[in-house]
Amino acid sequence: MNLFLLGASHHSAPIDLRERIDFTRRGVPEALGEIGRRTAVHEAVVLSTCNRSEIYTVCDNPRHARQTLTAFMSGFHDVPESELATHLYTRHDADVVRHLFRVAAGLDSLVVGEPQILGQVKDAFTVAAGEGRTGTVLNRLFPWSFTAGKRVRSATGLGEGAVSVSYAAIALARKIFGKLENLHVLLVGAGEMAELTATHLRAQQVREIGVANRTASHAEALAGRVGGTAIPWERVANELGACDIVVAATGSASPIITRADVEAALRPRLDRPLFIIDIGVPRDVDPAAGDIEQVFLYNIDDLRSIVQENLARRQSRLDRAELMIDDEVNRFMAWLRSRAAVPTVIALRERFEAVRQAELARLQPKLAGLSPAARARVEEVTRLLVEKLLSSPTERLKATTDEEDVAAYAEMLNHLFKLSEEPPGNGETEPDAAAGALAAFSRDRTR
Amino acid sequence: MSAIPLLLYVAASAAYAVHFGRRSDLAGRCATLLLAAAALTHVFVIGMQTMESGHLPVVGTSGAISGFVVLLALAYLYTEMMTSERSMGVFIVPAMAFLQAIPTATNAVASRPPVLESQWLAVHVLSLLFAYASFALACVVGVTYVLLFKELKAKHLGFFYSRLPSLRVLDVMNGRAVAIGWLFLTLGLVVGVIWLAQVQPGAVDPRVQAMSLFDPKIFVVLLIWLVYTFELYARRSLGWSGRRAALLSAVGFTIVLLNFVPIGYFATRSHNFY
Repeated sequence: MNLFLLGASHHSAPIDLRERIDFTRRGVPEALGEIGRRTAVHEAVVLSTCNRSEIYTVCDNPRHARQTLTAFMSGFHDVPESELATHLYTRHDADVVRHLFRVAAGLDSLVVGEPQILGQVKDAFTVAAGEGRTGTVLNRLFPWSFTAGKRVRSATGLGEGAVSVSYAAIALARKIFGKLENLHVLLVGAGEMAELTATHLRAQQVREIGVANRTASHAEALAGRVGGTAIPWERVANELGACDIVVAATGSASPIITRADVEAALRPRLDRPLFIIDIGVPRDVDPAAGDIEQVFLYNIDDLRSIVQENLARRQSRLDRAELMIDDEVNRFMAWLRSRAAVPTVIALRERFEAVRQAELARLQPKLAGLSPAARARVEEVTRLLVEKLLSSPTERLKATTDEEDVAAYAEMLNHLFKLSEEPPGNGETEPDAAAGALAAFSRDRTR
Repeated sequence: MSAIPLLLYVAASAAYAVHFGRRSDLAGRCATLLLAAAALTHVFVIGMQTMESGHLPVVGTSGAISGFVVLLALAYLYTEMMTSERSMGVFIVPAMAFLQAIPTATNAVASRPPVLESQWLAVHVLSLLFAYASFALACVVGVTYVLLFKELKAKHLGFFYSRLPSLRVLDVMNGRAVAIGWLFLTLGLVVGVIWLAQVQPGAVDPRVQAMSLFDPKIFVVLLIWLVYTFELYARRSLGWSGRRAALLSAVGFTIVLLNFVPIGYFATRSHNFY
């Protein structure tokens, strides 16, 4: 039994290919169903976001799984295998675990520490579990990754601080105004950056968004998209007085808003703050406007340097995060290895118990003459003997680190003790021998 | 016994500092608990002193300081509960510990001269002390406003940016604290004037004779009243807020402190009841 991962992400594949292999287009449940039919994997979870398409599986033969899963991806998305091959990566066993934990913690994300990915991993697991495509291993692995991801984030503060210019602007606005509800926003310019910031502000439920642009039709179009009202270009300076936040993002070569404009507009309202976000290059707002008492003027470089600082802070926390991930991976792998040895341990114990019972049954006539106390002693001695004989092999099996070694041991034990054959004698094993063996095993583990 | 509140105030100060510096949630909860314990034991101590002496122990300046500290602690705890904002504690709780050291050191409860045997005493003193506690809160909130304002203006987002609430929240808190303080200040002064009008004719106590606008303590308290009245007016009618209002409430509270300790101990001839 092996963990195997096949996938592509922003690290390995360009955007146009990532778009074509996005599972959400045709539906993850359908993909899971097809994986079930076309491949021999036992368990599968499909994680599909705009930056990654990954299939987490439990299988017997990774090489075979790789071939069938690649063929499946190629067929499902209608992308030639040759084109896919160079952009796909694979991971095995502990590396699968590490990969998933890093993904859940946001360490593998384009923007390190971004929070959405954890929810996406959760959704991916919920869908796969709902489709009945997960089993003992993935049912343990994924919830483990949620906890690990959360732990790493909260212990390292990995997700703190805005890391995009528009989010940095929103964070600043919140530090000035508290809640952004009921604020009046003015967009000057109708470009992409203005629209992005406006969309974020709209999500914060600002009361009103005015849009002004040299070309009135552009202003109207953007106003329509962000739920605002278009404002005639000549009225920009007059509008300032009613605004709390101004987003300036035009391609103009000279400043559009001068210090005098701002001063005149603010005179009647005195100390009410005005937050000006100037993301135009060259600048749209006269830098001297920032000297006015209640004006907070941030240009694109100011916002970028905030973002840089936040990114640097996140980067400085990476080492600690990776160490924590290592720790989680080791703990998960210890659990997984103990799982691999379980069937062999149970079989071995059942076998020994069967031999003991058979011998006791065979000696029954001779033991009949003994007192009940002496018979109990015989019973106890034989049981302890079996326990003692098995304690060391159980320990060793449990401590075996390599899965191939576990398989080799299992094979050897099978052969030496004929574990797969019928037990000798009357073949009557105690019904709870297996349960007892399992209990003894888990007792060992928890110690 | 009377040192226990002081020790708890000191411990709470330390916990608030740890909470602010390391942003540790656990330290924050400990700090609130310690401060609540300090306020409780403090109320208990004041209760004991009241039973012993037969009157509220706010006669002398030391007693007044003790009353001021406990009212400030309660007012602060109330604000903390209302805003779920603990970051202000580090600025204000050490001041409580510092001030509480004075009554703890002097310890004795001032005896009540016959002239103060009146039902007006409690109303007069408690409303003024509560007003001062509100002004103290307003001042601390104002100072933190200025600190955050400077970081935002300088575009250097650092220590205070990540620890303080928004400018607007701080501004609103300052405005409310000043309004509540002004209300109680006015009440305390009006009660004082009424009381004086009742006892001054025919009084022999030289302190009562000295009660006039020219007594330093009374003169300065009117100055305080003017400062805060102006702040309220400026906020409502001139559109002042933010840094200007914050600085004004800091100036106001500095005068309150001056009136409380140096003037209260050394200069006044009318209010020297220690």
